[in-house]
Amino acid sequence: MLKIFRIIERNTIEKTCLCVRYSSTDSSAEKRDEFRVLNIRKPKGRYQERKQPRTLNILPPRSESMPVDQDWGNVWPGPRSFHPATVPLPVRQGYVEKSGAPPSKYANAELVKIPNFLHLTPPVIERQCNALKQFCTPWPKALDTDEKLEKHFPLQITSSDYCFSSPSIRNPLARIVTLRFKLGSLGLNQRAKDKFLRLVGDRYDEESDSVTIVTDRCPLKKQNYDYALYLLTALYHESYNVEEWENLKTEADMEYYDWLKNKSKATIEKLFGKPHGEIENADVYADSVDKLMNEGENTYTLDKYGEAVRKLLNLPTKIEIK
Amino acid sequence: MSYLRQILFRSPGTLSNVVRHLCTQNVAKVEATQEELDKLYKFVELELRGNDPAVLKSFCKFAVTTGNHLDINTKSWTLRKPNHERYTVLKCIHVKKKHRVQYEYRTYYSFVQYKYLTGSTADTVLEYLERNLPEGVALKATKVEVQAIPEYLVPPESDKQSNTTVDT
Repeated sequence: MLKIFRIIERNTIEKTCLCVRYSSTDSSAEKRDEFRVLNIRKPKGRYQERKQPRTLNILPPRSESMPVDQDWGNVWPGPRSFHPATVPLPVRQGYVEKSGAPPSKYANAELVKIPNFLHLTPPVIERQCNALKQFCTPWPKALDTDEKLEKHFPLQITSSDYCFSSPSIRNPLARIVTLRFKLGSLGLNQRAKDKFLRLVGDRYDEESDSVTIVTDRCPLKKQNYDYALYLLTALYHESYNVEEWENLKTEADMEYYDWLKNKSKATIEKLFGKPHGEIENADVYADSVDKLMNEGENTYTLDKYGEAVRKLLNLPTKIEIK
Repeated sequence: MSYLRQILFRSPGTLSNVVRHLCTQNVAKVEATQEELDKLYKFVELELRGNDPAVLKSFCKFAVTTGNHLDINTKSWTLRKPNHERYTVLKCIHVKKKHRVQYEYRTYYSFVQYKYLTGSTADTVLEYLERNLPEGVALKATKVEVQAIPEYLVPPESDKQSNTTVDT
């Protein structure tokens, strides 16, 4: 036990001695070498020459030296954002909170933002149009009205082109083709016209007597155009085509009243004892009966019917009771 | 024969050269006979859309001036009111449902109509206008072409005969 104590004691004493020795050596080194100071400033007495600010060799704005009779189209030949030194106009643009004039054209971002038309001044447009005239052909003088155009060129084909900034230059809407024509221009006979109307369904507009076929199922405009013309051809020939079952149509299947196929005609013929073509005023009577049956009974059709019957049977006209 | 000699004299090469020359001549002749006729447009209508009415106004003026210089019947009009497309969102993204903020796009519309154009004129005018279309303006060109009824749309023979009998 004693032995262990002795060893610990000795160790501690040795350690303290070492510490003292280290500390003594540190203090002596500081005294020997002083910390050197870095002198950033130049030594006194000498003046440094002041640097002259660099003068930029900028020309005055170009607009100040422009002649009055210059050709503006050469100064501003193409689309370009606004440049204050080139445009010799005292333009102002922008908003000021307190009362005052809007900012001038120099260092004015508002004027740069808006697309300008300085490259399309009236003389420039005229010059460019004169150059473009050689690619244009005049409109035929004989076709100066809509009626003449309608008569000679009955088919109207409508399609659209699109031009705007989008990721793709192709617009799917450009494929749609619309074919429009007056039904009368096809020159169908009565039966074929009836069948044609059944085939086109609601694509026929009764008011303007026009058929509108819109084709958009193909991916390209040309394909849709060809398809529209194919449809027209198919409809035309199909409407002339007579199926066997079409001849089985009876009077009960008729969707409108036809005087020539009805009992009224037979009665009249029996009454007069001759065919309806030879009876006086029979056509007026036929017309009024057709209208009465097709349009329904109203004061107008009934009055017309009454008049027609009086004419047909040679009865005195209706006496107006006042 | 003299024609052949001329060609041989002009292109002193192999026979294949001569054959090719003759072929191109023939092709050119065929193309000349099947010359494509100019289209007829009843009208071409431009629909312009943009965010800035001033730019649209300038462009319409340009388009009308162009039409007048090229002797086309031109007119232009605008919609009186722009289309305001608004959408309302929460001011603060997750909470406070009562506080909202509203944004809107304004789209102004203008229209230009050219009447009675031939195909080449329409192509020229549209190309010129499209090349000078300013930034931020969308153009939709609707072309209404007129055509005669195709020659092959004639009633079938049987029907023609029946028609004539009915008429007489």
